[in-house]
Amino acid sequence: MNAIALHHICKSFGSFAIDDLTLEVPEGTICGLVGENGAGKSTTIRLLMNALRPDSGTAAVLGVDTASPEFLAVKEDIGVVMDEAYFPEVLSAAQVGRVMAKTYRRWDDAQYRQFLDRFELPEKKAFKDYSRGMRMKLAIAVALSHYPRLLVLDEATAGLDPIVRDEVLDIFSDFTRQEDHSILISSHILSDLEKLCDYIAFLHQGKLLFCEEKDALLDRYAIFSGTADQAESLEADAVVGREDRGYGGVRCLVRRDGVPATLTLERPTVEDVILFLVKGVKLR
Amino acid sequence: MSALLLKDYYVLWKQMRFFLIAILVFSAIPGGYNMVFAVTYAALLPYSCVAYDERSKWDQLAAMMPYSVRDLVLSRYVLGWISGAGACFFSLILQAAFGLLFHYAASPAALVVAFFTCVSTLAITLPLIFRFGVERGRLIMFLIIFLACGSAGALGGIVEGSDGILPAAVWLVVPASLVLTAISVPLSIRWYARRSR
Repeated sequence: MNAIALHHICKSFGSFAIDDLTLEVPEGTICGLVGENGAGKSTTIRLLMNALRPDSGTAAVLGVDTASPEFLAVKEDIGVVMDEAYFPEVLSAAQVGRVMAKTYRRWDDAQYRQFLDRFELPEKKAFKDYSRGMRMKLAIAVALSHYPRLLVLDEATAGLDPIVRDEVLDIFSDFTRQEDHSILISSHILSDLEKLCDYIAFLHQGKLLFCEEKDALLDRYAIFSGTADQAESLEADAVVGREDRGYGGVRCLVRRDGVPATLTLERPTVEDVILFLVKGVKLR
Repeated sequence: MSALLLKDYYVLWKQMRFFLIAILVFSAIPGGYNMVFAVTYAALLPYSCVAYDERSKWDQLAAMMPYSVRDLVLSRYVLGWISGAGACFFSLILQAAFGLLFHYAASPAALVVAFFTCVSTLAITLPLIFRFGVERGRLIMFLIIFLACGSAGALGGIVEGSDGILPAAVWLVVPASLVLTAISVPLSIRWYARRSR
């Protein structure tokens, strides 16, 4: 079963549109949603949570059509962290916990308090006095304290210091040890996604350019570093993107199957692939 | 819905203590007009909550949580009714206490008129808030509240000279508020759902 299945979703806002978006995230996997600012990541998340109604297309989460009345019950199984933690500013962490206890049937207060301790979040301090990192940690604590089967994380690691970010990524990774647990995470920190994700989905100007297994993606492409003359000798179709590095040197993202096997190539990072696709001379 | 009401209670208690004290003060002042003013003032509390929610973007987070549109909308009405009923209760207690001390009689009929004026005000203004948002809806809301309080003042002046008008006002305002609410709630649900999409 797919944890998330968006089929031919279109949503227009006039100057910006999500265009024929089809995205499937298999259950038990972690999918990273990548794209520039304004590419449509947050809109996609709002569409799959039925906070926005698509102009056309269908969306299903955990096997339930998001437009159906049954989807309300499915939201119990989804933990959401948005790009900012939007709790009322005057509430303290303890009060947020009490409100959430009345929101989620499976709310586990002991677990919530464990997360507050682990993240060193003061229970009595008003939310408005939290730093951005503390706010995000509170949102993550809430998302994880009602036994969700799916986590939907929109820039959830933004604003966290590297140590806490690493800890949070471990928590997310542990979360998917249960085979029916899945995560959709959008982030600008591509190294986080590389560490965490099984699948990478790339949105560009409202269109999904690809969604595929991370390992397959990194196996398909390679980095060639050499001279401009060497790069010119490569088959044009094999070169996905190219950047000049000065003194006649170039760095190219190439398709492995389009270049000679004898050529010395490096394994790319997800960041390499995405940056070349966005900024490179060529787009697929 | 209890979660939403609890959240509103926390927000109001932290943000609106002076507002609540003002309601108590108006409740304590003798006279039907002040009572209507206190209760109608209490009916403003849901609008403050909507404004705070918009400012903190709680409404965006709530859309991701297992709250139905019906609960999100109805919780505002329930908050207004509870606030109005609370203001009536305190008004009754305070006016009865002051009545004993200063030898005047509290008017239960004026309280009933006050409460159902509050219900009517909510029924007329909340759909506008859901349709236009707090900023634009607030202007219309203040106009309606001004009319409600002005009418209460005028009615209060007439009542002083006539014993029969207040019971008649009860018979008018109670069914009117119920009819208005029956129309208002579905309209609010419809406009809220449309506006949030």
